[in-house]
Amino acid sequence: MEIQELNDLSPLRVFEESLDGGLGRGNLGVLVSRHGVGKTACLVHLATDKLLRGQHVIHVSFSGNVEHVINWYKEVFREVSEGRSLADAASVYNNILSNRVVMNFSQENVTIDKVLSSLETLIKHGSFKADAILFDGYKLTVATEDDVKKIKQFALDMNLEVWFSVSPVRADVAYDEFGVPNTMQKYTNLIDVLIGLIYNEDRDKVVMTLVKSRTSQKGKLMGVSLDPKTMLISQ
Amino acid sequence: MADLQNMRNIGISAHIDSGKTTLTERILYYCNRIHEIHEVRGKDGVGATMDSMELERERGITIASAATNVMWKETEINIIDTPGHVDFTIEVERSLRVLDGAVLVLCSVAGVQSQSITVDRQMKRYHVPRIAFVNKCDRTGANPYRVQKQLVEKLGLNAVLMQIPIGLEDKMQGVVDLVTMKALYFDDGPAQDMMREAEIPAELLDEAKAKREEMLDSVSMCSDAVMEAMLEETLTEELLNTEIRKATIALQLVPVLMGTAYKNKGIQALLNAVVSYLPNPGEVTNKALDLDNNEEEIILPSDENLPPVVLAFKLEDGQYGQLTYIRVYQGKVKKGDELFNTRSRKKFRVGRLIRMHANNMEDLVEAGCGEIAALFGVDCASGDTFCDPKLNYSLSSMYVPNPVISLAIKPLDKKAADNMGKALNRFTKEDPTFHTYVDSESNQTIIQGMGELHLEVYVERMKREYKAEVEIGEPEVAYREAITERAAFNYTHKKQTGGSGQYARVAGYIEPLAEAVEGEDPKDYEFGDEIKGGTIPTEYIPACDKGFQLAMKKGSQVGFPILGVRAVVNDGAWHAVDSSDQAFQTAALNAFREAFEKAHPVILEPIMKVEVVAPTEFQGSLFASVNQRRGIIISSTEDHAMCTVYADVPLSEMFGYSTTLRSLTQGKGEFSMELSKYGKVPMGVSEELKKEYQEKRKKEQK
Repeated sequence: MEIQELNDLSPLRVFEESLDGGLGRGNLGVLVSRHGVGKTACLVHLATDKLLRGQHVIHVSFSGNVEHVINWYKEVFREVSEGRSLADAASVYNNILSNRVVMNFSQENVTIDKVLSSLETLIKHGSFKADAILFDGYKLTVATEDDVKKIKQFALDMNLEVWFSVSPVRADVAYDEFGVPNTMQKYTNLIDVLIGLIYNEDRDKVVMTLVKSRTSQKGKLMGVSLDPKTMLISQ
Repeated sequence: MADLQNMRNIGISAHIDSGKTTLTERILYYCNRIHEIHEVRGKDGVGATMDSMELERERGITIASAATNVMWKETEINIIDTPGHVDFTIEVERSLRVLDGAVLVLCSVAGVQSQSITVDRQMKRYHVPRIAFVNKCDRTGANPYRVQKQLVEKLGLNAVLMQIPIGLEDKMQGVVDLVTMKALYFDDGPAQDMMREAEIPAELLDEAKAKREEMLDSVSMCSDAVMEAMLEETLTEELLNTEIRKATIALQLVPVLMGTAYKNKGIQALLNAVVSYLPNPGEVTNKALDLDNNEEEIILPSDENLPPVVLAFKLEDGQYGQLTYIRVYQGKVKKGDELFNTRSRKKFRVGRLIRMHANNMEDLVEAGCGEIAALFGVDCASGDTFCDPKLNYSLSSMYVPNPVISLAIKPLDKKAADNMGKALNRFTKEDPTFHTYVDSESNQTIIQGMGELHLEVYVERMKREYKAEVEIGEPEVAYREAITERAAFNYTHKKQTGGSGQYARVAGYIEPLAEAVEGEDPKDYEFGDEIKGGTIPTEYIPACDKGFQLAMKKGSQVGFPILGVRAVVNDGAWHAVDSSDQAFQTAALNAFREAFEKAHPVILEPIMKVEVVAPTEFQGSLFASVNQRRGIIISSTEDHAMCTVYADVPLSEMFGYSTTLRSLTQGKGEFSMELSKYGKVPMGVSEELKKEYQEKRKKEQK
């Protein structure tokens, strides 16, 4: 299969449709769930889809292990390409690698100003024209309102999409029926899209619910869910 | 004859500048091999004892791995001092092959760096058990806990703290041993550098207890005996040490020790750990290949009553003449014994047998099993196996990477030319990654190696050791050529000029071989025979194969070897009188060249994995510098005040980078690189390369 066809058939098209055409530049999107549901894989799948469509992405991680993130990309690409028997997969992969940068912050409590200034440095001095930035494991639930506003402004200034994967920092939070912790509530107005992930035993799938979109405020099941085996977004 | 149990063959490897040479120096001092300490970059002009070469002394780095023998208490320790720079990893690999265990030295401030990762990967390849030593704990910003964490996260090692520091930075006084739960200070004796045991300071007691619990947890994960003893509360120091030793040798555990070699702290405890936790030669399984039996693997028991099997792992041309460092794997070697070199198929007699200590040596009558010694005046190459003439074993061949950079050199005068020849002959024997040849077209002597610094060091050595002054050309990258599409050929070679003629026709196609999956070595060439009905007689098929291979030695774009091609013959014609091997070879050669042009050839260049580190304020300059060099930024990591950028950059763009980096970062940045892969040269650059090549050829033809 050629890349074009693979992209057209990708479950990510359904995902975007549920969002009325995708997140859109200048906007903030959040994937939220308990720990260990598969947010990182989901985020990497989002990024891989963008890469396959020729876009540039920056993956921001806070884990201290870049190798780990890179392996996720390798793994997700392998799943996606083998599932569709993508033609010339090895060289496609080598090509998309040049459009991805992993930016890692290993110190604890790094300020958002520092993160954004590093991102700006990369985009400007490194001539890296990012189309999307993915924050993996950013502690959004303990960020201040100001922090989130700064990120929003950055997304607008740089004209790019920003995605977050978020898990609550504290253990004692309550989750609603979509898997969204109550600590997220105060940010709902600041972000543009909020997607909750929760494991549904009956369907044996991680169900994705669009809790908030640019046009609506109530929970709507998305046309896609996470396959528990591959952790990828599927129809 | 030393008892095997009281013998350790260890290496000390580390990132450049983590203080490895200083550490080795201190070990020699504490084992009474030397009587005073000289600093590596010493002002007294003597230099550290291990750096036997003048050049190493000047640059403050260790290039050749000298083997030295010391006694710590009852144990004989052979130390191989390994070089730290990436350009010399063949040295590191060679020493690892002969080691039974290693000390991985890390800087307490910089932590796990790219070189530590490379070295660790090599140690994994040769299954070398290791202990980690967090050095430079007296430096500002020292944090051994962070280094231990990095060992776990970045290297995936089960690194366990065996000690905690008593004070850090300039307040570093000693360490708390978590096994004995005693404080160790290093201020005893007349020179105030001997170890002294004391009670743990009260303010550290809680932390020590907590860290001991962590350590016990980790050890009990690898050892049921410890787990049981803990439950029954019968855990003894002996049992704990035995089990840590077992887990370390089984590569399940990496004990972490700490100190500062420069300030003489923690060395004796490290030596104790070497004895306690690293294996003796009898505890390691060594394998050889039986050349008489289809290279079947044979386990070599460390038994000195068996016939000897010996590996020559290092050649050195020092002030005493040619020295061959050997490691005895089985049996023992005595003066006057006859040994057989299984590569050159030559027998020789063991003459003088010695044991080296940096610049002094000690004569031996015999070298026992597991020992490291040196022989005089043996003609061999490094990596050769010597064994009893009755045996025909080869110790497994070591992985040798291909060179990526070349440099034309020209001797200044006749005398220099003679000396240069001698020097090159010596270097190629010592270092398999160093190649040299005379280019038949330009008549220039070309040297090839693993990086700019690698070649620079050899040019310097030629000058100093052999008095061969040479002029050097611009460094040149070892390009490769490849095809991207399938292309057919149908070529007839005909020649009828008196005497017997030549006639051969070959037809078929060439196509690119599939790209290698990560982790596999890429295939360079494949030959396919799809001839039906004898259009080319079987006896001429090998000649076709040979012709293709000949054509692949030199591509038509820039004159570098062609890689990754499958060449297939499926039709042809021959003549009963005029056909010959030679005719088919020529036909295949020309057929390949014809098809090559049609197969959309591209030029490949070595892409280096580059790691640049500098304070965060220079982040922008780092990104820009990588970007200007056609580099691809893979990732960037910020850790406190330092920023590390990992990138893939073409080697051709990295020339002179050290100078650029220095000026970009006010001397605060450093970088290292190693070969990552071969990648396609972009259109613009490849046009330029082709033009240059054509011009060069024209010039040479004139």
